[in-house]
Amino acid sequence: MTQIEIRDLRVEYKTPKSDEAFVAIDNISLDIEQGEFITIVGASGCGKSTLLLTIAGLVNVTSGSVTINNNTVNGPGRDRAVVFQDASLLPWRSVLGNVKFGLEMQRWKDDDIGERAKRFIKMVGLEKFTDYHPHQLSGGMRQRVNIARALAVDPDVLLMDEPFGALDAQTREVMGDELMNIWERDRKTALFVTHDIDEAIFLADRVIVMGRDPGRIKEVMKIDMERPRNAAMFESDEFAKYRRRLRDHLEEDMASMHLVTEVA
Amino acid sequence: MMLDFYRRNEAIILGTLSLASIGVVWQFVVDAGIVNPFFISTPSEVFAEASIQLESGKLYKNIAASMYSFVLALGLATIVGIFLGVLAGWFRDVESILEPFIWFKYSAPTIAFYPLFVAWLGYGTPTIVAIAFLFALTPIYANTLSGIKNVDRDLVRAARSFGARPLDVFLQVALPGSVPIIVAGLRLGVGRALTGVVVAELFGASAGLGYSIAYHAQLLETSKMMVSIVVIVLLGVVLTQLLTWLEKKTDSWRVH
Amino acid sequence: MSVVQSDANKINANAMKFDWPVSRSTTISVLSVVIFFLAWQIAPELGLVNGRFTSQPSKVYLAAIEVFRTDNFLFHARISLTEFVLGFSLALAVSVPLGALLGTSRYARLLLDPPLMALYIAPTLILLPIMVIWLGIDLPSKIAVVFLGAIFPIIVNTMAGMREADAQLIRAARSFGANRFDVFTRILIPSSLPSILMGVRLAVGRGVLGVVVGELYVSQAGVGHQLMTYGSAMRIDRLLVYALIISIFGYTLTSLVRLLENRVRNWRPQ
Repeated sequence: MTQIEIRDLRVEYKTPKSDEAFVAIDNISLDIEQGEFITIVGASGCGKSTLLLTIAGLVNVTSGSVTINNNTVNGPGRDRAVVFQDASLLPWRSVLGNVKFGLEMQRWKDDDIGERAKRFIKMVGLEKFTDYHPHQLSGGMRQRVNIARALAVDPDVLLMDEPFGALDAQTREVMGDELMNIWERDRKTALFVTHDIDEAIFLADRVIVMGRDPGRIKEVMKIDMERPRNAAMFESDEFAKYRRRLRDHLEEDMASMHLVTEVA
Repeated sequence: MMLDFYRRNEAIILGTLSLASIGVVWQFVVDAGIVNPFFISTPSEVFAEASIQLESGKLYKNIAASMYSFVLALGLATIVGIFLGVLAGWFRDVESILEPFIWFKYSAPTIAFYPLFVAWLGYGTPTIVAIAFLFALTPIYANTLSGIKNVDRDLVRAARSFGARPLDVFLQVALPGSVPIIVAGLRLGVGRALTGVVVAELFGASAGLGYSIAYHAQLLETSKMMVSIVVIVLLGVVLTQLLTWLEKKTDSWRVH
Repeated sequence: MSVVQSDANKINANAMKFDWPVSRSTTISVLSVVIFFLAWQIAPELGLVNGRFTSQPSKVYLAAIEVFRTDNFLFHARISLTEFVLGFSLALAVSVPLGALLGTSRYARLLLDPPLMALYIAPTLILLPIMVIWLGIDLPSKIAVVFLGAIFPIIVNTMAGMREADAQLIRAARSFGANRFDVFTRILIPSSLPSILMGVRLAVGRGVLGVVVGELYVSQAGVGHQLMTYGSAMRIDRLLVYALIISIFGYTLTSLVRLLENRVRNWRPQ
């Protein structure tokens, strides 16, 4: 069943100084099935985060449409939850307080909130750190809290905006592995933005490759590898083949990049 | 052993040493006849005078009078400053409305309007409170404004992604995030309110530490003036330290 | 979900300032001032407030012309200005070297920090009556109060600026064979200049305050003296003229220092 339908999507940003609008993404059409894990890769400035945040309802659509379960997206909603980069936890709240935050904002019943939050903290393996504050946790632990916060509100679609972008390579691999384990339990539809090629292949059913100027879809690459996935797959010939293809795409963009000033 | 103890407490030891030697030198220059005690008194005389004032209840009365004005002024400045700062930080138009007046307040020495307040409120506590209130208002307002206005955009976005309403964003993100900087504003306000109180008391009051300085100055009683001066300096240090402590406490969650 | 969206837009408008065009806030600010002056002008005429206590913009304007023509304004201004300039120059001459010493020598800092901090926090203006006993009711006691008010912010900020100087820069300079003096003149001074100027900016405010308080307390001439005179004579219009002149002076000087501060800050890559 198709869960997310994106049709001729175009998003423009107003730049603060000039009247000219900057086209972040244009002409994007895509169908995403329920239970699919989609990763989005591309050089910086290709609009991959914009695409994700538009689906989240945090960025306004200029033209075209995004529908989820046949409802047109025009703002954040209970059917989606976002995992952001490192800095999006409330620093003055404990781990428990942060996981409760999403539930509170969505007006869940008070009696359910505490128990539910604890359950998801346990799921990401942080039950010993329930009362810790973000500044007392490592980057990897903070991202576990972020994931628990998003999953606790029981969304249909999980949106992840470079959630492991601030982590070192080793932690990143561990987190990718764990994310897979968690995801395997109920296989929610997931979109995952990254600039790490291996991560993109390892997690995905399909990899969306985006190009820039304007941000657009260059290729949709199906990853035919069995699930559950494991670290041994990194060494396989298949994996190497996907990796080479993605790398060709990205290098093409890199080559043209030094001509253009960076627009994050 | 000794050296170890010294190293660990070097700041405290040297600081105490320095304060103590100021006292010793002060006493010495008078005892040796280098400076006339009429000008600077001596630590021993100030101490003796302080004991007398303590016993007669005079010192207590003056401290109480000054603290009354101080608490009233700081309380008012805190309420008004945070209220206006929050409004201006959240609603850009309110900031625009207030900006020219705050601008003026920044550059105008409040004390220049002292005679105006005397004309309005007479000599005494109301004028003292008004001056101290205006002294303390600016930093509290300015810090609250900048705290609310510079709310972390990543956090706002995360809150919105869960469907937070504007009031949620304000109460759960902007306000708690601003607490440390508001407390820092209060710390500045404390020092300024104290200045406002004692300066206004210099000009016209019937009790208070500033009044006591001005009163004894006319009688050229240096020791008695020094008692109030020392008390004011101590009050300033203690109150500011208190707020610094509070600031650190509210700031503990920040990633340093 | 549409409700959430319209709410979300409002947050956008409030939290991200570039959503408003600049002209909107300027318009509102100007309007706000105009309304204030109108209300001030009209309220006494409608009998809402007693004009004797509030005066009116038109009266203040006329009083300003009078003050400049007939009130010996330049005489009073010169006296106040002399007090300010002398006290402030003295403060500059003492505080920058002292701050530099404290910023570079650990022992000097440990010894002098407690008394300096106490005086930085405490209202130095309370020393005014003592200054008057020592130095009399004329210029010298005011100069002393300006000096005492201005010196501590500069010392403290100079010290902070020197201490925050980039340790890597210093190491780099040392590796090229720079001696202590080179490090001081080539690295510590330039890199702490913004901080020193910030201290100077704060000191301007305190210095102006010192002049006014000193002259309000006891004086025979000067703008503060005029303030007191017109205050007791209930000439609110003239009182406001002098208060405005002092404000404009303080504002102009503070803005100039801030301008310099920003220029110096921009040398440094952030």
